[in-house]
Amino acid sequence: MAVHPKTFRYSSGRFILYLMLIVSSIMMIVPFYWSVSTSLKLEKFVFTNPPQWIPDPLTWVNYIHVLTRIPFLRYFANSVIVAVATTLGHVFFDTLAAYAFSKLKFPGRDRIFFIMLLALMVPFQVNLIPLYKIMATLHWTNTYLALIVPNLTSIFGIFLMRQFMLTIPNELLDAARIDGCSEFGVFRRVVVPLVLPGIATLIIFTFMGTWNDFLWPRIVTSSEKLFTLPVGLAQLQMKNTSNIAQIMAGTVLTALPMIIVFLFMQRQFIEGMTAGALKE
Amino acid sequence: MTAISPSRRLNRSVQKYAVGYTFIAVPLLSLTVFLFIPMVVSLWWSLNDYSGLTAAKFVGLNNYIKLLTDDKIFAKSLVNTTVFVLLGMSIGPTLGLLTAMMLNQNVRFRSLFRTAYYLPVMTSLVVVSTIWVMLYNQNGLFNTILQNLGLHKVGWLSDPHVALISIAIASIWQGFGFETVIFLAALQSIPRELYEAAMIDGAGGWAQFRFITLPSLKPVILFVYIIGIIGSYQVFDQVFVMTSGGPVYSTTTIVYYLFDKFMDLRLGYASAIAYILFAILVVFSFLQMRLSRERA
Repeated sequence: MAVHPKTFRYSSGRFILYLMLIVSSIMMIVPFYWSVSTSLKLEKFVFTNPPQWIPDPLTWVNYIHVLTRIPFLRYFANSVIVAVATTLGHVFFDTLAAYAFSKLKFPGRDRIFFIMLLALMVPFQVNLIPLYKIMATLHWTNTYLALIVPNLTSIFGIFLMRQFMLTIPNELLDAARIDGCSEFGVFRRVVVPLVLPGIATLIIFTFMGTWNDFLWPRIVTSSEKLFTLPVGLAQLQMKNTSNIAQIMAGTVLTALPMIIVFLFMQRQFIEGMTAGALKE
Repeated sequence: MTAISPSRRLNRSVQKYAVGYTFIAVPLLSLTVFLFIPMVVSLWWSLNDYSGLTAAKFVGLNNYIKLLTDDKIFAKSLVNTTVFVLLGMSIGPTLGLLTAMMLNQNVRFRSLFRTAYYLPVMTSLVVVSTIWVMLYNQNGLFNTILQNLGLHKVGWLSDPHVALISIAIASIWQGFGFETVIFLAALQSIPRELYEAAMIDGAGGWAQFRFITLPSLKPVILFVYIIGIIGSYQVFDQVFVMTSGGPVYSTTTIVYYLFDKFMDLRLGYASAIAYILFAILVVFSFLQMRLSRERA
C-alpha cells in the first residue's frame, strides 16, 4: 500500500524538525560534557587525536588537586555567603519599597520612582570607579562588606515587585487596616503572601546574578580569601594555562551548584525569566 | 467639641507619610550613596587628570577629545564592540526565534530541549569562557575535528582576524537560549483562532508567519533586541577570560579598555570612557522608549 503523499510530507517534516532539535541540543550539551570529561582525565590525555570521549583512565586527581591545593571550598563558601546575604537584602528591602511605591501615598512618591527608573539606564561602569574609591576609603576592600553592601537593593527588583503589587486590589488592604493592622502588618500579612510568585522570581534573579557576577568582585577583592567562585576560576585559568584538566575540574565545581539549583527549580526559573520580560 | 489643632493635623500627616518614607529609606539611601554620588564624582573625574594617588588636575574636555580624536586603541575598541554587537544581534535573536518556533510545534520532550538551550544562560560567563578557551585551544576539540576532516587548524583565539568572531560565537551559544525562552512564551500567548482564521482564508505557512506571528511578536522582538544591544555593548567577562583584549587589541572592547585604564590608575580617563559608553546606551534606551510608545 502506498503512503499517502500528505502523510509522508507531514512525517518527513516532523523528522527534520526533530533532527534539527536533537542536533542543536547536542551542540548545547557537548561543551558541558567535554568539560566534565576533561576534568576526569589525566593531563596527558586532554588533547589526544582521536579525542577521548570517555576518560581512560578515569581519575579524580584534578578534583583532589583543586580542592586541596587551591582554596576552592573557600571560594564556594564566599559565593554562598555573598549570594545569600544579597538575596535576603533584596527580598526584604525591594519588596518593602515596592509596597510603598505601589500602595502608600506620600509627597514626591511618583517623582522619586521615576528618577529611580531613569537610573536603571545607567551602566554599572559609570559609577564603578568612584564606588571602588568609596570602598577603599571605608577600608571595605577585601571584606564581605564591599561584596554585599553596595548590592543590597536594586531598582530592577523594586520595579519587578511593584508590577506584581499593582494587581492587588486596594480594598483588601483597607480591610486589613480597618481591622487595626499597622502598615508593616498589612505588608507582611496581606501583601507578601499575595506576591510570593514575584518573590520567587526576585530570589532567582538576584541569586543567579550575584552568583555569576564577575567585574565587581574581581575589582574589590585581591586576597584569595575573599574570592568568589568566578573570580577564583578566572585566576586559576590565568595562572595554570598549561593544566587544562585542573581548570576544568574548577570549572565543573563552579558551574555545578547553579546547574543543580536550576534543574530542580526549572519551572520557576523559566517563569521568572519570562515574567520579567513580558511584564514590561 | 474639640477641634483638631493645626499642629496636630500636621503631626498626623507627617506620621502618615513617615511610613512610606521609612519603607523606601534603605533603597533610596543606597541609591544615593552608591549610584548618584558616584555618578557625579565620575563625571567630575572625567574632566580631570586623576590617578587616585595625587590630587586631581582639571583638564576640561581633554580626556574626551583625546579619546575621540587621538586614541587609536579606543577607536579600535569602539569598532570591536560594535562588530561584536552586530554579530551577536544578527544571529542570536534569529536563532532564538527559530528554536522557539520549532519548540512551539507541539514537540515531545519540549521541556528537555528547552533545558538544553537554557542551560548556558544561567551558567556564569566565566565558566562558559573557560570551557570555550579549552575548545578553541590550538590542539583542542575544534581543531582536532577540522584536522580529521582534512582542513587546516584555525587560530581561534590567537589569530587577530578570528579572535573577536570566536568570542562572538561563544557568546551567542551562551545567550540565545534566553531569547528562545522569551519567544516561546510569547508565541504561546498568540491566540490559536488567528491562525485558524488565516488558514480558512488560505494563508500558507509563510503568510501566517509574516502577517500573524511577526506582528504579534513585535513588542517582544523590540525588547529582546534592545536588551541584547545594551548588554552586548558592555561585554567584558568573555574578553577578560578568553583573550585579555588581544591579540594586538583585536578583541579589546570598550569596557575591557576601561578596566585596563582603571588598572593603570588613569581614573579620569577611564571615567570619560564610562561616560562615552553611557552616551551610547542612552541613545538605544531612548530609541526603545520612542519605538514602544509608537506601538502604544
